[in-house]
Amino acid sequence: MTSPLITGYISGLHRRLPAALAKEAAAGLLETYEHHRTSGTGDDEAARAALAEFGDLALVVGEFVRQAPGRRAARLLLASGPAAGFCWAAALIAGHAWTWPVPAAIPLGFGAALLLAVAGLTAAATSRRSYRRIRLATVAGLIILALDCTAVTASLLAAPARTWVLGLAAAVSLGRIAFTARTLPRLAIR
Amino acid sequence: MRADAQALKGHLDTLLLASLESGPRHGYAVKEALRSGSDARFDLPTGTIYPALRRLEAAGLVTGAWAEAGGRRRRIYQLTPAGRRQLAADRAAWRDFVSAVTAILEPAP
Repeated sequence: MTSPLITGYISGLHRRLPAALAKEAAAGLLETYEHHRTSGTGDDEAARAALAEFGDLALVVGEFVRQAPGRRAARLLLASGPAAGFCWAAALIAGHAWTWPVPAAIPLGFGAALLLAVAGLTAAATSRRSYRRIRLATVAGLIILALDCTAVTASLLAAPARTWVLGLAAAVSLGRIAFTARTLPRLAIR
Repeated sequence: MRADAQALKGHLDTLLLASLESGPRHGYAVKEALRSGSDARFDLPTGTIYPALRRLEAAGLVTGAWAEAGGRRRRIYQLTPAGRRQLAADRAAWRDFVSAVTAILEPAP
């Protein structure tokens, strides 16, 4: 029978990490525990030695959070945000976007969705202990993907002229679309 | 003596890849390979090995698969061809770095 100290730790892993990660770490802890048990120590002593060797729960969860693909993706999307924003602002100003036949609700909705996505990405990118916050990167990434697609499509349809700055903004967005579309499926399974 | 964790961090990926070079291992064996191979200088908390292996797996340098042994399920990790190439590149870069630093710290008389 496994020591309650070990089962308690494993419950903690399952509470704080996605199932696949908790299962992997739990198997490692059981391996460590068995190693100490077979070296001749009693169950509780082996459990204490295994936990000391495995590392504090907060430390292990923190490492999974720090190295999560979602955290890295959120940081990359946030880092590319100012460049994309600057290019689109320049393109919209150069193209006198306020004269385009676009209902006012669209830019307002676009802005609100962008703020929501940035908030989600920031929460994921700055998370140190919570894997739940990392999961926000998936939702925020989907919003960013939709916004980049909308920006490229709308500008091609509504812009009266194709300027080089508009082309540059579209290229930046297309790069982000490619990155997000490639990254999101990986985040969904982790 | 334990090595400074901060100093080890920059080299952890390479050390993990090297520990899998001789064949597939489970996480605890990877940790033990690092500890015994470094004369106990690199004695990381075992639980921190798994996130690093996960990251290497996500990068396509390592593959992990569940296997049953002695009635217990273990995740076994092994190098991918890309992981072997990365290890070879890291090893060459490390040798260059060490020879450059050695040339400065221990100049020929």
